[in-house]
Amino acid sequence: MRRLLAALAEIQDPEMPISLVDLGLIYGVEERDGHVEVRLTFTAMGCPATDMIVEDIRRRLLAEPGVRDVEVRVVWDPPWTAERLTPEGRFALESWGLSV
Amino acid sequence: MATANPAFEQLLKKGDLIESRSEMTPEYLRELKHTLIVSGDTELISAPAYYLAARRAPSINAFMTGIAIIQDELAHAHIAYHILEELGEDQEKLIFSRAPKDFRYPYAFDVPLESWTELVVANALYDQAGFCLLGDIHEKCSYGPWKRGLAKVMAEENFHLRNGRTWMKRISQAGGAGRDELQRAVDWMFPLTVEWFGLPDTLKQHTTQLEYRLKGLTNDQLRQWWLGLVVPYCESVGVKVPAHQDGDKFVLDYPFPCQFDAEAKRWEFDKPCSWDDVMTRWRARGPRNAEMVAMFQESFHKFRAAHA
Repeated sequence: MRRLLAALAEIQDPEMPISLVDLGLIYGVEERDGHVEVRLTFTAMGCPATDMIVEDIRRRLLAEPGVRDVEVRVVWDPPWTAERLTPEGRFALESWGLSV
Repeated sequence: MATANPAFEQLLKKGDLIESRSEMTPEYLRELKHTLIVSGDTELISAPAYYLAARRAPSINAFMTGIAIIQDELAHAHIAYHILEELGEDQEKLIFSRAPKDFRYPYAFDVPLESWTELVVANALYDQAGFCLLGDIHEKCSYGPWKRGLAKVMAEENFHLRNGRTWMKRISQAGGAGRDELQRAVDWMFPLTVEWFGLPDTLKQHTTQLEYRLKGLTNDQLRQWWLGLVVPYCESVGVKVPAHQDGDKFVLDYPFPCQFDAEAKRWEFDKPCSWDDVMTRWRARGPRNAEMVAMFQESFHKFRAAHA
């Protein structure tokens, strides 16, 4: 799982210079027999980048050895808040000029 | 420069940033305002132009993305007008009291975008032009407040480009009638964006913007930068464009400039014209100039009248 999470940490948010993991979008990753399930949320229900994020996740995980298919499940409860940012994520957004 | 002002020229030459009105010469202030008006008007008019096409989005998610892009463009316009206000202009007058023909945005936005396909091609071609023009200003601009404001604008334009490119690829790969529609959109929108960068360097004598470091690259350098990004991408997704690479330059495969039938959205590659002809067409504005400007002016005045 750590390997898959590391792969997800390489993916940048399409709108901000921060990785999906540091943004706190990923709720969980599980793998069974090449089938990966990613549970994630978006910062807002009106997030305009949902398609792009899901597409990036799928493409990146399918590049991992042994991964045959990727299922992305969107979770709205608990909802995303800025509390979910990692310290690195907070630093990235603050350096970019966003107060969090 | 128009008026000799050694201290100010020295400041600019050193690469220092200008931070306030009190430091500027009147000529610099005038040129800065002109550059900001072109930028603000371009961002502002893209909102109604994109909205007409975003309404034709093929899914709720696509519609949300289209609307988010429009929101970004309005915010970018707002930044430019806000700086103009700090420089002594009346923002409300600029936006709501100018006649449609007095707006200073590229002619391309006077030609209507009428489908989702045309919107995504605009995201890939027009927003790429915006990216090059603003990216250059962001890097080189001598006016501090604008330079800093553009950092975030650039990040957001990337999102628009991605929407354009992803959809172009998707539509092209699906093939069929959708792909033909995509090719038709690129056929009229590509030369319109090439033209957007203005007179070729051989004809343009006026370089005040460069002298004042309001921008860093010439029209032809910006055009080449744009071609270098757009031509390979279009080719990679199987869309034909009338340009090719020759050494380290990109060359157009049609007479530049040439005549454009705006109503039919068709270039007449067999009818070369002069830049004076192009300027005449630009000054007359395109088919939807009045309609685009009315889209944000009308309600403002109606509301004013009703709530006075």
